[in-house]
Amino acid sequence: MEGEDSSGVKYLVGKTAGKSGVIAGLVATHIATIFGLWFYGARLPKFDFPSLNGYIYVGLPFGFTHPDVAFVVGGVFHYVDGILFGLIFALVVSPMMGRVIKPLAPMTPTTNYIKGLIWGWTLWIISSALWMPLLIGPILAPYGAPVGVFLTSFDGYGVQALLANLLWHTIWGANLGLIFSPRPASGGARSWMRATAAEMR
Amino acid sequence: MAARTILAAAGLLGLGLILLIAGAIVEPAAPAISQTGESLIAVGLTFIAIAVGFFFAWAAPS
Repeated sequence: MEGEDSSGVKYLVGKTAGKSGVIAGLVATHIATIFGLWFYGARLPKFDFPSLNGYIYVGLPFGFTHPDVAFVVGGVFHYVDGILFGLIFALVVSPMMGRVIKPLAPMTPTTNYIKGLIWGWTLWIISSALWMPLLIGPILAPYGAPVGVFLTSFDGYGVQALLANLLWHTIWGANLGLIFSPRPASGGARSWMRATAAEMR
Repeated sequence: MAARTILAAAGLLGLGLILLIAGAIVEPAAPAISQTGESLIAVGLTFIAIAVGFFFAWAAPS
């Protein structure tokens, strides 16, 4: 499955950064989603992002949609979101980090992994500070399940919801960074600092 | 760099395991919940996930 494009950069999967980012985004989203649904087994709040998305698009605001419909429709949007966040990481965020943050310049599995974690934690902050309180909060508040500022209350839980969301996004970012792993085809310590624009695509 | 990475990953794994065990001890039997216990479990599992990822990245051929 390993591929290499004409720019001299090879990827773990796919032959271009775009394809590799899409595949990495899909894998990361599926693994994190499944773990989120399993969280309650470890006494953590269940993170059912497909249903939460479903509540936004076809759910509670428009009357009680069947939970299965909310799960499936929300799941489609959730997976598309995750894949596109993976694509944005591959085409924009990862090269940018390599150029702006000097220690992350080398194209090695470890730096690629750290970049994935940073991108996952960035989305954790956006999810906890904006998405959950501003979009999910008003939907669930009339049903006695307010989300609270920065996800400090969710479905009867306190700050552990915020930390479980951190775990979810860590799993997502870790898988993204491990699978989207651009490396120099010739080996050695090639870095983003010396990459041309063509090589970054 | 590689040696420091593996040491950092081992430290994170150990810390994560300690936090996870502490959280499991603090957490009461269901259906009662403890904010502290579940927070420790979440942070412990997060550290373990990060450490496992570091091991994978470290072991991957560059």
